[in-house]
Amino acid sequence: MSFHGVPQGVTSPPAPASAGEDESHKTPGTLVLVFVFLAAFVVYYFVNWKLLSFLWRIG
Amino acid sequence: MHTGLESPTGVWWKPAHRTEKLWVAIAFGWCMVLFAMMPLWHWKGGQNPTGIRHRVTAEAFAQRTQEFIDTYQVGEEAGIPVVEPPAGSDIYLVGAMWSWRPVLRLRQGVQYTLHLSSVDVNHGFNLYPINVNFQVVPGYDYGLRVTPTAAGEFQIVCNEFCGIGHHLMVGKVIVLPAEQTAAVTGGAP
Amino acid sequence: MSDRFRLCPTTGLKVHAQADALIKANAVVATVALLIGGVTAVLVMLTRWQAIHLLPADWFYRLLTVHGMNMLIFFILFFEMAVLYFASAVLLNSRVAAPKMAWSAFVLMVAGTGLVEWTMFTGRADVLFTSYVPLRAHPAFYLGVILFAVGALVVVSIFFATLVVAKREKTYQGSVPLVTFGAATAAIIAVITLGHGAAIYIPTFLWSLNLMHVDAQVYRLVWWGLGHSSQQINVAAMVSVWYLLGGLTVGAVVLNEKISRSAFVLYVLFISMASAHHLLVDPGMGAAWKVWNTSYAMYLAVLASMVHGFTVPAGMELGQRLRGYTKGLFEWLRKAPWGDPGFSALVFSVIIFGFVGGITGVTFGTEQINIIAHNTLRIPGHFHATVVGGTALAFMGVTYYVIPLIFRKRIAFWPLARIQPYLFAGGMLVFSVAMTFAGTFGVPRRHWDISFQQAPFEVQYAPAVDLVIGVMAVGGLVAALGGGIYILVTVWSVFFGQPMEKGARA
Repeated sequence: MSFHGVPQGVTSPPAPASAGEDESHKTPGTLVLVFVFLAAFVVYYFVNWKLLSFLWRIG
Repeated sequence: MHTGLESPTGVWWKPAHRTEKLWVAIAFGWCMVLFAMMPLWHWKGGQNPTGIRHRVTAEAFAQRTQEFIDTYQVGEEAGIPVVEPPAGSDIYLVGAMWSWRPVLRLRQGVQYTLHLSSVDVNHGFNLYPINVNFQVVPGYDYGLRVTPTAAGEFQIVCNEFCGIGHHLMVGKVIVLPAEQTAAVTGGAP
Repeated sequence: MSDRFRLCPTTGLKVHAQADALIKANAVVATVALLIGGVTAVLVMLTRWQAIHLLPADWFYRLLTVHGMNMLIFFILFFEMAVLYFASAVLLNSRVAAPKMAWSAFVLMVAGTGLVEWTMFTGRADVLFTSYVPLRAHPAFYLGVILFAVGALVVVSIFFATLVVAKREKTYQGSVPLVTFGAATAAIIAVITLGHGAAIYIPTFLWSLNLMHVDAQVYRLVWWGLGHSSQQINVAAMVSVWYLLGGLTVGAVVLNEKISRSAFVLYVLFISMASAHHLLVDPGMGAAWKVWNTSYAMYLAVLASMVHGFTVPAGMELGQRLRGYTKGLFEWLRKAPWGDPGFSALVFSVIIFGFVGGITGVTFGTEQINIIAHNTLRIPGHFHATVVGGTALAFMGVTYYVIPLIFRKRIAFWPLARIQPYLFAGGMLVFSVAMTFAGTFGVPRRHWDISFQQAPFEVQYAPAVDLVIGVMAVGGLVAALGGGIYILVTVWSVFFGQPMEKGARA
């Protein structure tokens, strides 16, 4: 039978991950992604402080 | 290893690996920066929403604003009184469905205490074009010490929904340039 | 309906017939609310796009109210009720505790929804989603919200009771799965939220009957205990769905149970922070209150999201690496099932929630920066990225698994379903970024006419604003198309879809 209309995770679920612990826990790709995120965060955050500093003095 | 759909068995309270620890530490450090910036800006920065805050009844605030208008009125624009208060004074702006009263004529580089309140529902103070926003809540007097740093014409747009005429609610602030400030204050007794 | 179970041939989970039915009923009502919210979204957006300016002022504010209530309350919460039944009864192989009460709660929630819809559509509640006192709606509006909240609270209690039943009847080994744990934190937050809801809507209901006074500032304070906390439910539920979809689509592993679960607990402990973010330029509170309640000095709810933002993709990466996708930095991502709408929805949900919703939210929620953000279009720009691009998209992704696994139907219009997350995410990304950008010019939110034709003084926004609003509208229309496809696909699959092979009865 065809599996048209059923997501792949149902028709061919991911093979069970190896039973043992992967001691290395190496996720270099994700590490790159989260640092890109952090950089974007830092830039946006401080740009907003800069924008704020252009206003009238308010207190 | 297991997925988030499976029940972990045994003791799963295990030490984290290096990368996880690293990221948690960096993220926590960033959170501390996020926190530290707020007190720092109170100390060193020029824009804080603190103000002088009081409860006030709608009647009392309306009356105070009317006295303020009667004392310093210099004209009228679009049916709204224009006032020119002395430098450094307490100035009043009242939001009501659907107008801001009065039109304020201020001087560049001089500090005023701007009292904001509403006599009916919530309104929003949005100063165009410099994008300064404050909530205007009935029953509360929000006294903000403001110093206009640039001359020109500014509009006050209501940015809190206040009923069907919300889009009609635009007020005005005129800031006279600093040179004129010197002339005016110099000539004043 | 009985206490029968069927065995899911795919996952091997035992599914209680009552859980099946309750999930279906809640999901169907959620979809109806999504349809109402979606149609009104387009109408509201075509009004804000000044080039079209579709609706008159009264209908603009009325339908904006309808849009907010249907999307933020009815769609999301009915869907989350379904998630709670799924995460408790289905994932733990358990029966639903007190099914009769569960159905009464469902009826109560539908009745409350009906009352609210009636008052809104008949112009008796033109008060917008926040219904700030002293704006006044018909008492039935507040009553409807109260009935809905009571029903939701009952469902949350049944969720906890089901956890107890499953534990007692030993339907699972060890600890509850991470997804269930996350859903449990969402349920705890729901209790806190609904408590605030009772604390504000009951007095407001009495106020609408002229029986008591409600202070405008106190209303804002307590209402946001409901208003933002309810979004915290969404966050916890969405992150649970991230772990769920990661597991289902690419076999994502849990890197470390301790870290992920502790991060969920931080959501519960730091829930009030986000509520304070709405009051940063209010006259009722002082600087110390604002600084403290914005952060509790540590921003640990932000930390929690940053942790999940790492562990979710890292779990996917490690899962893929364990299955042999080990080349370079990103083979695990390149070789992922991008044609699976569950997977693409998951990835876009993480990205839009984090990069757009998260960054803008934390920035605008800073005490002083809020001065240049409060009530401008930056705010809806932010929360459309979190709630729509994040939560709703994740929920859409999980639907493509719920339909075959729970409804036992194939997804209709499969090629459309496969591109749906791309359309919706792409449109929503453009929409929310453009909206945020327009807000930096000071353009107010919830405003019928930013050309101010009838106002006493002229306000002329920079020409860039027209352009950005146009871009926003195009993005919004693409997203609406994606949303429409979602509704078409899900409704068609459920009611007219081809059945999967029959599941064996246990």
